[in-house]
Amino acid sequence: MSDRRIGVYICHCGGNISDYVDVEKVRRAVQDEPGVVVAKTAMFTCSDATQQEMVQDIEEQQLDGLVVASCSPKLHLFTFREVAKRAGLNPYQYTQVNVREQCSWTHTDDYAGATAKAIRLVRGGIARTRLTEPLQPIKIDTVPRVLVVGAGIAGMRAAVGLADLGLAVLLIEREPVVGGRVAAWGAMYPHGKNGRQLIARLNEEIKQRENITLFTCAELVEKSGSIGNFNIKIRVGGNSGQGQEIITARVGSIIVATGFDNYQPVAGEYGYGIDGVLTLAEYKELLDSTEGKLFRHGREIKDVVYVYCVGSRQQSGENPNRYCSRYCCNAAVHASIEAVDKNPGLHQYHLFRDMRTYGKYELLYNQAREKGAVFLRFDHQEPPVVEKMADGKLMVKVRDLLTYSEQIDIAADVVVLVTGMVPRDNGSLVDVLKLPLGQDKFFNEIHPKLRPVETVVDGVFICGACQGPKNSSESVASALSAVTQSASILKKGFVELEPLIAQVDPEVCRWCGECTSACPYGAIEQVQYQGRAVARVNEAVCKGCGGCAPLCPAGAIDLKGYTDEQMKSMIDAFLKEIV
Amino acid sequence: MARVNPEFAGAVKESKAFNASACMNCGVCSAVCHMGIELLPRKLFRYVLLGIEEKVLANVETIYSCLLCKMCEVNCPASVHIAENVRFLRHYINKKVYQL
Repeated sequence: MSDRRIGVYICHCGGNISDYVDVEKVRRAVQDEPGVVVAKTAMFTCSDATQQEMVQDIEEQQLDGLVVASCSPKLHLFTFREVAKRAGLNPYQYTQVNVREQCSWTHTDDYAGATAKAIRLVRGGIARTRLTEPLQPIKIDTVPRVLVVGAGIAGMRAAVGLADLGLAVLLIEREPVVGGRVAAWGAMYPHGKNGRQLIARLNEEIKQRENITLFTCAELVEKSGSIGNFNIKIRVGGNSGQGQEIITARVGSIIVATGFDNYQPVAGEYGYGIDGVLTLAEYKELLDSTEGKLFRHGREIKDVVYVYCVGSRQQSGENPNRYCSRYCCNAAVHASIEAVDKNPGLHQYHLFRDMRTYGKYELLYNQAREKGAVFLRFDHQEPPVVEKMADGKLMVKVRDLLTYSEQIDIAADVVVLVTGMVPRDNGSLVDVLKLPLGQDKFFNEIHPKLRPVETVVDGVFICGACQGPKNSSESVASALSAVTQSASILKKGFVELEPLIAQVDPEVCRWCGECTSACPYGAIEQVQYQGRAVARVNEAVCKGCGGCAPLCPAGAIDLKGYTDEQMKSMIDAFLKEIV
Repeated sequence: MARVNPEFAGAVKESKAFNASACMNCGVCSAVCHMGIELLPRKLFRYVLLGIEEKVLANVETIYSCLLCKMCEVNCPASVHIAENVRFLRHYINKKVYQL
């Protein structure tokens, strides 16, 4: 019936599967399927011993297909692909069947039903494997140059890091000067270094490196191509339209480090708009530009009230910022220590919802209290109220939860609204790069812990505060992570991509454009084939999602590894007893 | 309603004998107090830190009913010298209220 030689392995997963699925019955049910020459069960298919047994079977029985019925492919797809490779079998002639999550875990109350379902799924896997072809990963040569968008502390540090690894860097900055937010700051914690000096030093480092090219007043306006080989266009020069120039370049990867904006309180939010009510950024400016005692409009500042979580952890409002900005507690506590160092007589009151001075910043928090700052906790449903008094001072009324919800009135010269970070308006950059934004409108990484600087666009990385609130050292750490990720692609000279992608049969294609509009990655383009227009899949951009295949009215598109023929044979196998 | 008075807080703090800024409001002091004093150290110290003098003076009797047994102090995870602080407050009140 079939000339294929397929090996099927069904896993007990300890008892994880076999307690709820009769694995022996599954084995008996599928052992006579066409093409099956080996059908075994194993206590743990992923164990070294069973892997070794599989390699031996593949070699001795000259298997040309492998089916493993165990857990989710997310967990062990690559494990068994490696097993196939070790035995000299093409890894794309192996199929993973998930009988744990899809049978034993979901049907714990139905032993017979779970077993029947497992039999059908394994049959489907065998049917698909019968029609597999050996596939080779797509190999793409890479350009050893990186585009870094944004020359703040993260972008600058990334540029230096890349240059030191021997990669050429194109560093572009929208503003006329480099340094971003950090360039405006004075002393920072925990290293005690001055923001301005830190940026000046980084700038020197950049100047010393010949393989970094910096463009200020520059924006990325176009991107085509794919991982390893992007074609980019940069517009350099004034915003007025005069003296503008378009520069084209090829780069292997792109690092986005566009930073954040400070939350801008709306008029009336905690008294914002009243003279004397400042944001933390405005207060920092005042602090950094003052030696000795603090003055404002010629009057000495004696009492300061800080209100935390302004623009963060909002529950309601038009576009609430539900996230915590992480850095603001630390920044406010640090600013208050700086302030009291300048003026030891200063009275400072911090009104907070929760203090998040994590790690080393805890010491800072202790230091602030030792230096006399008083912390009052308010309920977010009863936020403090700021009013102007007749004598020109401000009056802050707050219910302090730590003093049993007693209402406390504090007279202040200055009220500092400790504002969080908000995403920067990057509309045109988002369009050019086709980067997805998260719910909070920051750039979205694939996984915050496992793949923290990668995006769904291969070869495009994000780092720093453009992906969410971060302090400067966290921004630099993520920048270096993006450097490492870029270098690991570009230093090798080539990338290997999954061959499980769409392909167009140009003989059948009539070019209607349905597939192009369906593709979320912009991977399908129009090309000429024997004097007529047809669709072509850019192998490096296609993710193999299969969105295009069912839409093609001519049936010209097939997904490698999941061809129409394979899908039909799987369905037939699922329904064997019914049809 | 109470208004903060940094002068009172400052006067108390200047003494160096009074230190409650490490208090984390955890409540261990109240849990172990066998006198069950209603004005718990953490509440009293908040009044002092905030400089709410009238609240402190309104509780003079309670401040004097403390046994200074230090049960709270030895159990305080933030190492606040509670008994020392109470002793200082008595000293302050002696001078201010009773002119002793």
